[in-house]
Amino acid sequence: MRSPVASLAIEAREVAKTFRSGWLRPRLTEALRGVTLEVPRGAIVGLLGPNGAGKTTFLSILATLLIPDRGIARVLGMDVVGDSLALRRRLNLASGRPSFLWSLRVAEILDFYGRLYGLAGPALRARVDALIEEYELTEYRRVPYNELSTGLKQRVALAKSLVNDPELLFLDEPTLGLDPDVSVRVRAHIAALRRERGMTIVLTTHYMREAEELCDEVAFIKAGRILDAGTPDALKRRIGLGDVIALRLEPAPPAWLTEAPGVLRCVTADGWTKCTVDDAEKRLPDLLRQLFAEGITVRNVRVREPELEEVFVELAR
Amino acid sequence: MSWRADLLAVWAVVVRNALMASRNVFFFFELLFWPIVGVISIGLMTRFLGITAAQASFVLIGTIALSIVNVCQLEVAYAVLMDVWSKSIKHQFLAPIGIRHLTLGSWLVGIVRGTALFTLLAVLAWWAFGFRALRPGAGAVAIFMLGCFLNALIVGVFVCALITLFGNRAEAFAWASVNLVLVLAGIYYPVSMLPGPAAALARAIPLTYFLDAYRSHFGFASEFTAPIATGLVLSVVYAIVGHLTFYACVQRARRTGLLLKMSE
Repeated sequence: MRSPVASLAIEAREVAKTFRSGWLRPRLTEALRGVTLEVPRGAIVGLLGPNGAGKTTFLSILATLLIPDRGIARVLGMDVVGDSLALRRRLNLASGRPSFLWSLRVAEILDFYGRLYGLAGPALRARVDALIEEYELTEYRRVPYNELSTGLKQRVALAKSLVNDPELLFLDEPTLGLDPDVSVRVRAHIAALRRERGMTIVLTTHYMREAEELCDEVAFIKAGRILDAGTPDALKRRIGLGDVIALRLEPAPPAWLTEAPGVLRCVTADGWTKCTVDDAEKRLPDLLRQLFAEGITVRNVRVREPELEEVFVELAR
Repeated sequence: MSWRADLLAVWAVVVRNALMASRNVFFFFELLFWPIVGVISIGLMTRFLGITAAQASFVLIGTIALSIVNVCQLEVAYAVLMDVWSKSIKHQFLAPIGIRHLTLGSWLVGIVRGTALFTLLAVLAWWAFGFRALRPGAGAVAIFMLGCFLNALIVGVFVCALITLFGNRAEAFAWASVNLVLVLAGIYYPVSMLPGPAAALARAIPLTYFLDAYRSHFGFASEFTAPIATGLVLSVVYAIVGHLTFYACVQRARRTGLLLKMSE
C-alpha cells in the first residue's frame, strides 16, 4: 500500500519568498508569506488569485526556477533545492507569455529542448513529430517562432512542455491573452493530458471559469497567503454562499419569501427576485408550492450555483 | 548525469548556436567584416609607418589573435545572451543540464568559427602583406589557436556570469571585455612596454604567454620561461574559477528572481 506522502505530487510547508530590489535603499516585497499546500498525484490543481498574489512565484519555486527563503517544498518526493537537477527531468513548465529563440523554427525548438532532456535519433524525431501533430503545428513546423501568432506560440509552448513526457506539468496562465476559441482548445488539451496520461497538472489562472472547468482542487492566493483550498464544491459549501434561485413573479413577491426556510436573503431588481438559498434542489419545490398556493404566477425560474469568482470575492474580504 | 546525456546536452547547444549564427546578420560582421577590416587597416598602417617585416608580423599576429578571441568569446557569451534577448532563459535553466553544457557547446561552435576566421585571415595576411601565419608549423599554430580559444572560453564564461548577475545591463561586457585583452595581453606591442602594475596584470592573462610563444617562431625573443605551460595552467585555473563564478551567479539569479525577470 502506498503511503499518503508517496501519493502526493507536491508537499509545500510554510514556503516564503521575499524579493529585494534597489541597491542603495533596498525595497522588500513579500511575495509568499508561508504557503502550505498539498497536491495529490494525478490531480489538476489551480492556483487562483489576482495579479501580484504570488501564484507565479510559488509555481516557480516548485519548478526549481526560484529558491525559497524559508520553508520546505517537496515535488515528486524530492526537495526543490537539494534535488533540483534530478527533479527537472521529471517536470516541465509552460507559461502564458511564451518566448523562445526568435529565429528557430517550430521543429527546431522542440528538437533543442528534446535533446536537453536526453532524447536523440529516432526517439527524438518520433517525439517531435507526435507533438507537432498533436498540437496541430504540422504546417508551421518550418516557420520561425517570431512569425507565429500568439495562439500558435502558446501551442508551441505546450508542445515544448511535454517534450520530456513530464510526470508533473506547471502551466502559468496558459490561456492568457488568447482568443476564446483558442482558449477552449487549450483547455481541452490540458484536460486530455490528465485523462490520457494521468499527468499531475498545477496551473495558475485568474480566470475562475477556467479553474472551475479544469481543476479538481483550487487554492486561492492573495498577498502571498493561501486563503483557502479544496474542491470547488467544498469551497462553495464552506463559504456558505448558497445557490441563487431567480424568480419572475406576478404580482410582486410576497413578504414571507425572505423568511422562508432555507432562504438566506432576497433581492428584487429589474423584475427578478433573486433568493439565495442554502440548497436550491431542496428549497425550490417548497417555494414554488407556496407561491402557487397564494395565487402568485411564476413566469420564469432560473437556478444558479455560486461561481468561484464569488467564493474568491467572499474570501478576499 | 550519464555521458550520453552530457554529450546530447552539449550537442543540443552546438546545433542551436549554429542555427542561430547561420540566421544572424551580425554573423557576417563578426566573422568577416570586422576581422578583415582589422587586418587590412593594421597591415596598411604597418606599411605607412615603414616598420620592418618582423615588426609587421608581430602586429599582425596580435590582430589575428584578437579577432579569433573576440569571435569565439562572443559565441560563448551567446550561451546566455541569445536566451536573454529572446526572453527564454528560464526554459534553458528549467532543463536538466549544467552550465558546462551551455559553455562547452557554445565554445565548440566558437572554435569552428575561430578556425574558419584564422584560415581566412591567414590567407588574407599572406596575400596582402606577405605574412605567413603557418610558417611555425602545424604544432605551433595549433597551440597558438588553443591558447586563443581557451582565452575566449574564459572571457565568455565571465561575461555569462556577469549577465546572470546583473541582467541585460551587463550585455555590453560581451563586446567590451575583449578590449581589456587588447590593452594588456600584448596584442600590438610587447608587454615589456607596459608600466609596472599593468605589466603585472598582463602576466596574469594566459593569452600573453601564447602570443609570446607563437611570436618566438618569428624571431622575437621570449619574455617568459615555459610560456605554453604557464598559459595552459593559467587557462585551466581561470576556466574552473569562471565556471564556479557562473554557477554561483546562476544560483544567485534563482534566489533573487533575476532568472524569471530576464524571461519577462
